[in-house]
Amino acid sequence: MVSRAAAAIRTRPRRERESEVLVWPDLVFIEFISAVLFSIALLVLSAMVNAPLLNRADPDTTPNPSKAPWYFLNLQELLLHMEPAWAGVIVPTIALVLIAAIPYWDRDTDGQGVWFGTKFAGRLAVFGFTASVMVTSLLIIYDGSLHVIWTENIIRGTGLNSDFQWPGGLDWFRNLRGLDTGIPWESIGFTIGGFTMFEDWRAIPLGIPGTTTDPWLLNLNFPSFLSQQLVPVATMVGLPVLFVLFCKMLGWVHTRRDIALLIFSAFIGVYLTTTIVGTAFRGQGQDLKPPWDIVVLEE
Amino acid sequence: MAEIERAPRKSLNEQLYDLLFKNYVWQSIFRTGYPNTPRNQMLAVATNVFLHLHPTRIHRTHVKITHTYCLGGLSFFMFLGLTVTGVLLMFYYVPSIERAYQDIQELETNVRFGQLLRNMHRWMAHAMIILVLLHMMRVFYTGAYKPPREFNWVVGVVLFILTLLLSFTGYLLPWDQLAFWAITVGTTMVGSAPVLGDESKFLLLGGFSVGPNALIRFYTLHVIGLPLVISIFMAVHFWRVRRDGGLARPL
Repeated sequence: MVSRAAAAIRTRPRRERESEVLVWPDLVFIEFISAVLFSIALLVLSAMVNAPLLNRADPDTTPNPSKAPWYFLNLQELLLHMEPAWAGVIVPTIALVLIAAIPYWDRDTDGQGVWFGTKFAGRLAVFGFTASVMVTSLLIIYDGSLHVIWTENIIRGTGLNSDFQWPGGLDWFRNLRGLDTGIPWESIGFTIGGFTMFEDWRAIPLGIPGTTTDPWLLNLNFPSFLSQQLVPVATMVGLPVLFVLFCKMLGWVHTRRDIALLIFSAFIGVYLTTTIVGTAFRGQGQDLKPPWDIVVLEE
Repeated sequence: MAEIERAPRKSLNEQLYDLLFKNYVWQSIFRTGYPNTPRNQMLAVATNVFLHLHPTRIHRTHVKITHTYCLGGLSFFMFLGLTVTGVLLMFYYVPSIERAYQDIQELETNVRFGQLLRNMHRWMAHAMIILVLLHMMRVFYTGAYKPPREFNWVVGVVLFILTLLLSFTGYLLPWDQLAFWAITVGTTMVGSAPVLGDESKFLLLGGFSVGPNALIRFYTLHVIGLPLVISIFMAVHFWRVRRDGGLARPL
């Protein structure tokens, strides 16, 4: 009897109370100490580094480059690659709404309260983050025409052709705007039932008059629409989908939580990359430059 | 004759202790002594206006630093620090384009510890944004947004936006080239919004470009409007952490 009772005590589930600690002192002291440490760190930082103060504001003297506060430089970076309405407003709004909606989509309560709660969570986070940092960097290099400059320099450097130019036939691949300016849109046309489609790609009549004051809805400038809206948006939607499909193929994705982990990590990667590029790699005229070559001119 | 019982003589330490902590004034502020029994410790948390945001007991895993890295608490601490330094800065600052820049210069050169005060406010603001972002990542990667905490995650997203807006409105106030052009670039982005872009930009700036009206609007939002709104959302945020059963942990 005694041994059975002892066994029962030993195997009973731990009561909540036993795995709890008192807020005073266990938590209150941790909070106090972390607050003290942060106060000291910030005091030391403030004693050593002064907050910047430039000349008095002058609406007639524009600094080049002009930059938003650092936490909006990711949006300013997007602005260089697509229609301003997408970059400055629509994309961040959709991103925030999607982030806020995560818990309404991933409702499974499994794995809460644990770091990286699913089997492949660690891999998904690392893959999502690194892949998105790499892809974002490549896209920025492409739209900054760095691949053109690098190819020209390398071929000139080998001495085979000392005044090598990026071939005109590849003008469409110079950067995103190349899709607009590097394709002979005037000579592209085809005929359906006697009608020539489209005589003017830059003014395709849409027949939605009066809906808006934006002229592009009346007459669509297709090449500009393609390079400034269609391709950027397709990229922003398509790449996450590709990421998910790829990780599904690898067998890493099983639940909605897995998808959320992958996409959120990829988002962090994009957020960080665009912020860093916007902060440290954009010089005059928002050209890509290494940080040590960036000088602010006042014009 | 019966002997009179005397209390043992108190040592000097004890006398000093009594003098300091058992006097009428001290006990009117702190009704009890140091809480050194579990019961009194729980009461200390539950009955103190500042501490009663906490539960009296929490799960063992939640005091592990690596579970939260204190990120949410530190974000709140930055807010408190920013309030204190911000109030002090308001003593020296007038939000008019004639005086704003000059006031900052004088703060840095003529006010004792003025430069330090401004630096603290600036770096704390940056730290708050970084801490809020990291806190959001912590909550995401620990799956702490899952039911029943869905709505508190949404409140958190709103708090993140408000943090950015607070920082952005404060950015204009020094009225230097950095401030002026950063806000010009930022509000131009707002202006590119479809449909209501120009209207929103006009509402924000009180005009078509950054000028005196924009300065007073940003100032008012920065020192009273947004802090009030964010305080309400923070109250809801913290309250719901309690209501939803504290920090998330495995079921």
